[in-house]
Amino acid sequence: MKIIATYTIKGGVGKTATTVNLAFLAAASGYKTLVWDLDPQAASSYYFRIKPKIKGGSKELIAGKTELDPLIKGTDFDNLHLLPADFSFRNLDLVLDAGKKPTQRLQKLLQPLEKEYDFIFLDCPPSISLLSEAVFAAADVVLSPVIPTTLSLRTLEQLKSFISESKLKKLKLLPFFSMVDGRKKLHISLMEEMQAQHPEILSARIPCSSEIEQMGIKRMPLGGYATKGRAIEAYQQLWQEVLPHLQSHQQK
Amino acid sequence: MAEIPVHFELPSNLNIEKFISRTAKKFPLQLTSQYYAVKTFYDSFDWRLYDADLICELNQSKQFSYLNLSNYSNEQLISRVDLENMPVFASDFASPVLVQQLLPLLEMRAMLQLSCLNLQCYHLNILNNDEKTIARLTIEEYESLKHRVSLELIKGYEKAATQLSEFFLESLELKVVKKPVLVAALKAQGRFPGDYSAKLDINFDPNTPAHKAIKTIYKQLLQVIKLNEQDAINATDTEFLHDFRVAVRKTRAGLSQFKSLASEEVSNRYSAYFAWLGQTTSLTRDLDVYLLNFEHYKASLPVAMRDDLNPLGEFLQLKHKTAQQELAAQLKSKQYLTPLIDWEHYLEKADKSIDNKLSIQEFANARIWKIYQRVIKQGSTINNQSPPVVLHDLRKSCKKLRYLIEFFQNLYPETDIKSVLKALKELQELLGDFQDSAVQEQALLQFKTEMMAGDYPEQTFIAMEALAQMLEAKSCQARSHFSKQYAVFVATRNRSLFKSLFVSKT
Ligand SMILES: Nc1ncnc2c1ncn2[C@@H]1O[C@H](COP(=O)(O)OP(=O)(O)OP(=O)(O)O)[C@@H](O)[C@H]1O
Ligand SMILES: [Mg+2]
Repeated sequence: MKIIATYTIKGGVGKTATTVNLAFLAAASGYKTLVWDLDPQAASSYYFRIKPKIKGGSKELIAGKTELDPLIKGTDFDNLHLLPADFSFRNLDLVLDAGKKPTQRLQKLLQPLEKEYDFIFLDCPPSISLLSEAVFAAADVVLSPVIPTTLSLRTLEQLKSFISESKLKKLKLLPFFSMVDGRKKLHISLMEEMQAQHPEILSARIPCSSEIEQMGIKRMPLGGYATKGRAIEAYQQLWQEVLPHLQSHQQK
Repeated sequence: MAEIPVHFELPSNLNIEKFISRTAKKFPLQLTSQYYAVKTFYDSFDWRLYDADLICELNQSKQFSYLNLSNYSNEQLISRVDLENMPVFASDFASPVLVQQLLPLLEMRAMLQLSCLNLQCYHLNILNNDEKTIARLTIEEYESLKHRVSLELIKGYEKAATQLSEFFLESLELKVVKKPVLVAALKAQGRFPGDYSAKLDINFDPNTPAHKAIKTIYKQLLQVIKLNEQDAINATDTEFLHDFRVAVRKTRAGLSQFKSLASEEVSNRYSAYFAWLGQTTSLTRDLDVYLLNFEHYKASLPVAMRDDLNPLGEFLQLKHKTAQQELAAQLKSKQYLTPLIDWEHYLEKADKSIDNKLSIQEFANARIWKIYQRVIKQGSTINNQSPPVVLHDLRKSCKKLRYLIEFFQNLYPETDIKSVLKALKELQELLGDFQDSAVQEQALLQFKTEMMAGDYPEQTFIAMEALAQMLEAKSCQARSHFSKQYAVFVATRNRSLFKSLFVSKT
């Protein structure tokens, strides 16, 4: 079991789109896959048409009173399950803080699912918080979408120093460009510059595409309605680039 | 939570259209695909897959063709492999997964078509208000069997599945089915899974007059002969002829062991007939055995020599082809058929000329005890210097004893019979190794002489000689273990077991 978190400090950059689409691709190639929607806005639950409600809410969940397994729902796609969000997740930080060893909570909760899933995707809300620390402690890989703007260069640097301060040796940060507008000269030159400075940035680039936006109308992952095209190919390329990082972990 | 039933049968007055429309009124649904398909079930003649709790089914439509291997008892899928055409033997599957799963079970047995069903297949999703799929249905509309519906549960939506299942049972009057559709298909052909076995399994009433009871044995053996006859002619696989011959041999053993229960005329006529039938079919069987052993023969030689043996394989194939043709002709001849029909009539008729009053229990006890004593008498005279012929005689007596015990096993406690048979089998195996290896060695040298007349490479003869030496060594080794194995057979424990089982306490 490998845990993949999508995370950014800034909101609205394509985290949920990435989670949902990569999870879909993983499941379609036969991996047992789970998406955990940790965001009270419940965008990924919405894309799978699953009600964002869990019995007992965040309190009982974080306290370990409810097992995760009975809360998990099968999606419309083979091998792909979802643990829905709940509105009470807006208090996750408070709930975590009230318990013991808050940063290790998520890892502990996920442990019993070890045999059930090959991959678990954590869809996180934006912001730096106690929850994000707990996510980093649990994750093997953090995927971080970056929109090619000067501002996001700073946020990426912030994230890198935050992760290096937390001394999480096994954690791998994989930034990639999201919402790329190929027609904007500025985007192209910025991306080249950033990639030169941060060679860990992946080479797959997710374009800005109306097809991706349509996920909200179709209420399903891109792969559920599109099999060809720039957008799906970009996600496929991204997944192919991420996969070796998960496998090299597995061999350890 | 109680288990939700998932396999249903539609009542005959409910067609698929009605079923769908009535379900749709209660549960929003969406038809995702519909297609015509053909489902073909396979197993060996002796039900090896069924015995291993397996169902093997080939599913074909315009879009796909795959083999499903599932558990018979719970219909859980074990593997699904794309496959265009079914091979005859498990060794011929292209997929290593299938070879690995099926070859150890099927070995040399051919996979035969059990049943072939034409159907219309429908896949439906049951949706909730968000148009999320909360359960899936597969409908199988058969041409000649009751239609089936299977419900696939989706994790986290068990409540919906329960409601659906209750609706099916209560409102639509569907029935829960526990047996796979194969069972219904076989039933329509007057068959059932596991309906053939070459093993005798007769439950006698111990008080039945012996002369009546033994006819039941003969009838079962005749059944085995008749069931295997056609495929022995066709050489569908080698086991048909093998089962056929074993039944012939057992009938012969019966005729010689049960002489007092039939007229002399009957005994003589059919003893001669079944002896002839055994001889007529023996060459083909011997060649079958050599060919079945061929890879094993090769493997027992040094690597460098193995391929030198290949011309022998070709020679045996040719010989086999001729023998098989002759066998086929014999099994279609009057010489074969007429006495067999007469034999069947004889078994149907009551035989008034017999004045043997023994019950089958008394008869079986006496017979088995007598042959057992013969085995002991022959065995105890054998020492390291005894010539092969005395071991061969012992082997024959052991075979008789084995058949007798198997004929009558249900008259005795099961666990006792098991240990008796186990002891006997071990002795028989050793005697078999001793004689069969020697016979094979002789045959090999005979083939060599025949092949010398042809155009075969010198290396082949060298390899054959090496093989003959191996076989001789094997035979010698078995011979050297005889005393030890025989001592086990006549150990006090076994002796008293035989005595307690077969000496009548009257
Ligand atoms: N590559 C893209 N091209 C066009 N639109 C996109 C793309 N990726 C995401 N979007 C749209 O942008 C919006 C935000 O995307 P998404 O929800 O994936 O971001 P997020 O980082 O998860 O946001 P949040 O921080 O609120 O969780 C959505 O409406 C989505 O449809
Ligand atoms: Mg999001």
